[in-house]
Amino acid sequence: MRLHVHLSSDWILDTEMREYRPSEAVDFCIVGTGAGGGVLAQRLARYGFSVVALEAGQWHDSERDMVSDEAGSARLYWNDLRITGGADPLELGANNSGKGVGGSTVHYAAFCPRFHPSDFRVKTLDGVAADWPIAYEEIEPYYAQMEREYPVSGPARYPWGKPHGYPYAPLEAGTAGQMLIKGCERLGIPVVAGGPVAIPAGRYGKRPHCIMRGFCLLGCKVGAKSSIHVSHIPDAIAHGAEIRTGSMAFEVPTDEAGRASGVRYFRTLANGRVLEQFQRAKAVIVAGYAIETPRLLLNSKSGPFPDGLGNSSGMVGKHLMAQAGPVVWGRFAEPIRQYKAPPACACSEAFYETDPRNDFVRGYALQTVAPLPIAMAHLLIDETGCFGEELIEKMQDYNHYAAIGVLGEILPDPRNRVTIHPSAKDQFGLPVPYVQFNLFENDKRMMAAGIARARAVLSAAGATETHFVPRYAHLVGTCRMGFTPQDSVVDRWCRSWDVPNLLICDGSVLVTQGSSNPALTISALAARTADWLRRAVPAGELTTRPRVETPVPAAEPASAVPTNGTAPTPTEARR
Amino acid sequence: MIRDRYPKADILAQRGHWDDATREVVLDRVQNVPRFRFFLSHEQATLVALCDRVIPQAHRRADRRVPLAPWIDQSCAQDKLEGFRFDNMPSLADAWRQGLAGLDQTARALHGADFCELDGGRQDGVLRAVRDGSPPGEVWQTLPAKRWWTYIALRQIAGVYYAHPYAWDEIGFGGPAYPRGYFALNHGAPEPWEPREAGGER
Repeated sequence: MRLHVHLSSDWILDTEMREYRPSEAVDFCIVGTGAGGGVLAQRLARYGFSVVALEAGQWHDSERDMVSDEAGSARLYWNDLRITGGADPLELGANNSGKGVGGSTVHYAAFCPRFHPSDFRVKTLDGVAADWPIAYEEIEPYYAQMEREYPVSGPARYPWGKPHGYPYAPLEAGTAGQMLIKGCERLGIPVVAGGPVAIPAGRYGKRPHCIMRGFCLLGCKVGAKSSIHVSHIPDAIAHGAEIRTGSMAFEVPTDEAGRASGVRYFRTLANGRVLEQFQRAKAVIVAGYAIETPRLLLNSKSGPFPDGLGNSSGMVGKHLMAQAGPVVWGRFAEPIRQYKAPPACACSEAFYETDPRNDFVRGYALQTVAPLPIAMAHLLIDETGCFGEELIEKMQDYNHYAAIGVLGEILPDPRNRVTIHPSAKDQFGLPVPYVQFNLFENDKRMMAAGIARARAVLSAAGATETHFVPRYAHLVGTCRMGFTPQDSVVDRWCRSWDVPNLLICDGSVLVTQGSSNPALTISALAARTADWLRRAVPAGELTTRPRVETPVPAAEPASAVPTNGTAPTPTEARR
Repeated sequence: MIRDRYPKADILAQRGHWDDATREVVLDRVQNVPRFRFFLSHEQATLVALCDRVIPQAHRRADRRVPLAPWIDQSCAQDKLEGFRFDNMPSLADAWRQGLAGLDQTARALHGADFCELDGGRQDGVLRAVRDGSPPGEVWQTLPAKRWWTYIALRQIAGVYYAHPYAWDEIGFGGPAYPRGYFALNHGAPEPWEPREAGGER
């Protein structure tokens, strides 16, 4: 079919896209086209496999569909019905979901830090959460690839985690971002300006430079921001992948041998008609993010898989992690005009690692954020429930606020989970996800410390008063990878322990989340899995279930170990 | 008394510099206010009274007031989804309908009259009782009052208001900036075309 989509102000993806018949068994059917699925489609197509990627939403044409308007941008989000509960129910939709080609990378702020080496060994180091079956060093080369391919701009030397530099120079900060830098510097807190953010400072290929429009969270009309539908999907299509939009997957059926045979989905045509279709595939990769991925698996029940596909461990849907994202804002006497320039522009990871002086383990990052007017009004409302003249007068100070986002590590807990709601159905008649979330003691202490720190930073920068509201971002962890079929849903290559030709490759496989925005890690894992598939498929590895390997403890270079004096508590040796 | 902090602001005058899609969406909001389709007439009166207390606009010129209630009505008529529903809350439309009935129940319990018949001060008292979480009224036995107040009433009404260019003028927001972009990034400075704050800004 012919595609004609604006990806930037002067780049039209005007090309023929290969189409496969649903009856044709393609090498891979991928569910989802975000940070995981999009990179997989691109890699696997380049490696010569036939690929169909199903996307529930549509293309976001940058000229026609993206607007500089908060209230007019609902189509970017996953707004289908979901039920939310638990002691600390999460708001879903808007900032933690995406619908359409590129997934939530279309409207992310584009902070793209790497995880720290310690993130992969939290159980070993702190005695909580779990270790990953892979070490930082195994994903490191793929971080470097993704930082070039997105690309990510940032400082020449980034001092945290395993120190490294960025291939593209930092972008300029607006006044709001400068407040984080100023406050940190006055307090002696290490801080970096200009990244790591996936917005190049200059032109990049067919992508124009950033114009400091400040609407990153509503999709980049300019095309400067690195979203997957701009950075990887065009290349996937050029190499023969089909991106099938309007296609809502609802079941991964299996054959008599217990292998995935393809994906059943509802396809909504341009005229509004909805067809039920079945795409045959030799292997299936689910990349629908931390809610839709477990939902699809749990809704794929059958005789041999009575608790849902790939769920013999009972772990599908468990260990949902939101990232703590309290917003802290200060009022400044001088004007700030926080809506200018990309909200993501400066950060500090000085408090990322466990510090024995704290009353909690793990930590948080401080990042710039810049709420637009409706988002700002919602913060003020959530803080005190204020209304009337009080609300209007506080909003009249809009141009005097600067804000910091505390991005904090919430630990995995099996009680935080995605299940299937017993009665509620969506517009297709499909059972909807039920998301339960609770904060636990370590999470609460970490958030309180992060909020206090951000208030101190804003005060040091000159804020005359500071305020905060709890918020959450980034949902991960509901199909974790692990060492054995009992402790996890997928193995070290993101392959289901139960179904040999089923892979899960998105944020749901993350074991821990650190205080890093997850997109880059999801893409790096996808690139790594694609490289493995390139070898594994011809070697026939997808014909048998994964074997339990004895993992070799990774070498740990001195620079990768946090130097904050943590005494590691060796509670459990790596199996 | 609400001061006019950006007296010369008129962001709509910049619309020639906006891209077509953005201009269409914002002008549609300004020019095409929907008619009531969902709420019955008494509910409409309650909703309008509520909107007047949440976003008072008496200080504005009559032709610069932002219609709020019709947009709430439209979201209920479409039973618009916003990505989630709390497990202890009904759907958006039901939550609105129940909450408006709840305001009347609380108003009658506290002051012996329907919400829309009370003076502004008494209406505010009713709203504060809802905000504080345990207002009198049968509705509030099953509808969580605090959650209704924040997520349904305040967030939605404020969401409608601050989507409007007249509200942007009130707070000095520069608004859409594609394709021309923003250039004055330091010291919170305005662009040459942006409104200055009254009382001492460069």
